[in-house]
Amino acid sequence: MAEVLFFLTAIATLGGAVGVIALRNPFYSVLALVVHLISLAMLFLLLRAEFVAAAQVIVYAGAVMVLYVFVVSYVGGSEEPIGVGPSRGFRVASVAFGGALFLVLAIAILGSGLKAIDSQGAPYVSGFGSPGAIGKLLLTDFLLPFEVASFLLLVAAVGAVTLARRRGGLETPGELATYSALDFLRPAGTGTMAEGVGGRRRLPAATPESGTEDARA
Amino acid sequence: MNPSFAVVSYYEPWWIQILKAVVIFAIILQLQPILIVGERKLLGRFQGRYGPNRVGPYGLATPLADVIKLATKEQFRPDTSIGWMFALAPIISVVAAIGALSIIPFGDTQDIFGTQVGLYGLDVSIGPLFVFAMGAVAFYGIMLGGFSSGSKYSFLGAMRAAAQLISYEVSQGLALVGVVMTAGTLSLTEIVHAQQGMWYVIPQFLGFLIFLVASFAETNRAPFDLVEADAEIVGGYFTEYGGTRFTSYLFAEYINMCVVSLIMVTVFFGGWLLPFGINPPGWLDPFIVLGKTSVFLVFFIWIRATLPRVRYDQLMSFGWKVLLPLATLNTLVTAIVLVATD
Repeated sequence: MAEVLFFLTAIATLGGAVGVIALRNPFYSVLALVVHLISLAMLFLLLRAEFVAAAQVIVYAGAVMVLYVFVVSYVGGSEEPIGVGPSRGFRVASVAFGGALFLVLAIAILGSGLKAIDSQGAPYVSGFGSPGAIGKLLLTDFLLPFEVASFLLLVAAVGAVTLARRRGGLETPGELATYSALDFLRPAGTGTMAEGVGGRRRLPAATPESGTEDARA
Repeated sequence: MNPSFAVVSYYEPWWIQILKAVVIFAIILQLQPILIVGERKLLGRFQGRYGPNRVGPYGLATPLADVIKLATKEQFRPDTSIGWMFALAPIISVVAAIGALSIIPFGDTQDIFGTQVGLYGLDVSIGPLFVFAMGAVAFYGIMLGGFSSGSKYSFLGAMRAAAQLISYEVSQGLALVGVVMTAGTLSLTEIVHAQQGMWYVIPQFLGFLIFLVASFAETNRAPFDLVEADAEIVGGYFTEYGGTRFTSYLFAEYINMCVVSLIMVTVFFGGWLLPFGINPPGWLDPFIVLGKTSVFLVFFIWIRATLPRVRYDQLMSFGWKVLLPLATLNTLVTAIVLVATD
């Protein structure tokens, strides 16, 4: 039973991964990635890592991929691929780099000895992979990487908010315009959405006129 | 008391599992027509009219007539739709909704003819996380349905679903963290056992309120039914659906309502436990759980009849600026209190 399930999910995992890069339509690519991530969660389940499987589905399929689907279905759901194909030299280089990466990974995996394939593999200890065990590991052995990762996510969140504010449209009426030194160092024509629709503009201090515009929009 | 199955990683024989799956599915499925006719009856009363009263005594056979009508309708899809995705999407919705049912505990482990049987599908060590994972999968049912319909209204409904689901799932999850920390376990049966002395609705009242509000958004029920707001976008993601496929979406929505109510009963209202030291025999457990659940189902319908639909930006800013900070605060305070009193 476990073997049948393993091969079914393994085929789905690999199929999803190939689909991501092989499919022309970006929307189908994203869906293939969803299939891949959910099959990967099933593989985790077969390894009795219930918590990791649930986290995989909730975080990746439930949050990250939702944003992907959101964006792609807005801008790229058409049958035509986006943009022109890569040039010939670029393709050769990408194959070379891909091959090099595969070689490195193959050496690393072979170097681990693949002991589990012939023998029984590591024995299952009761409680392994349970939320409690993972929490204990995260707060003892892996405390520093855990905190660094959370700090990284915090920086990303702050960065996202900053970028969204710079593009305008988020300021409430009556809010004072804020200027950053970077605004003056930045070359004209780079970045803001206001510039995209009509020349370089500073963030406008909210005037009654712009307030009514917002209300109409 | 024996240790629960989640703690000892014990699973029952396969034939018991299959039997339990069929029984749980059958019972919950039989609840849906009752729920639908009950909702229409109650809505009618709230609005000063009779509600359905033509088919059967008191109109009780109305859902039966509805199902026959829907099942005998012609299968159709718009020219612009994507066929396989259009057919697949309702299936994903129903599967995810029913999948979440499998971990709801309806009672303690019972001795039935000498066999130890837990009155629940599975007692997994991840508990509520499983429900949230199923919620993540259910999103694709709505999203793909709206996208593949090839219609603007469906697409807008699906987009609203995407934004709404990820906004409210965060608060919903954080609201449960307080309970999980207090109980010290994620297993739902263990959480019920931990409520022997006091139901968690009392120490975790804020968490319960947040979970309740977020549940309305998660199940796309009024006043948060922006996903299918019929005054603005016809029917949202199922605008183009009809017949049995539409029925699937309908069932998914009502089963989700049951699942959320069952989770609230399990986590905040002591599951099969009764207050004041009343200790009923074990076979009454499922009836107690279903009785408590029906209170919440009526509450869902009551709110639908009472509150007007909120505007979309109100929904979003409420989720991110009110519910999420409150849920975080609830978690923090619970953690501090737990450490201080430990």
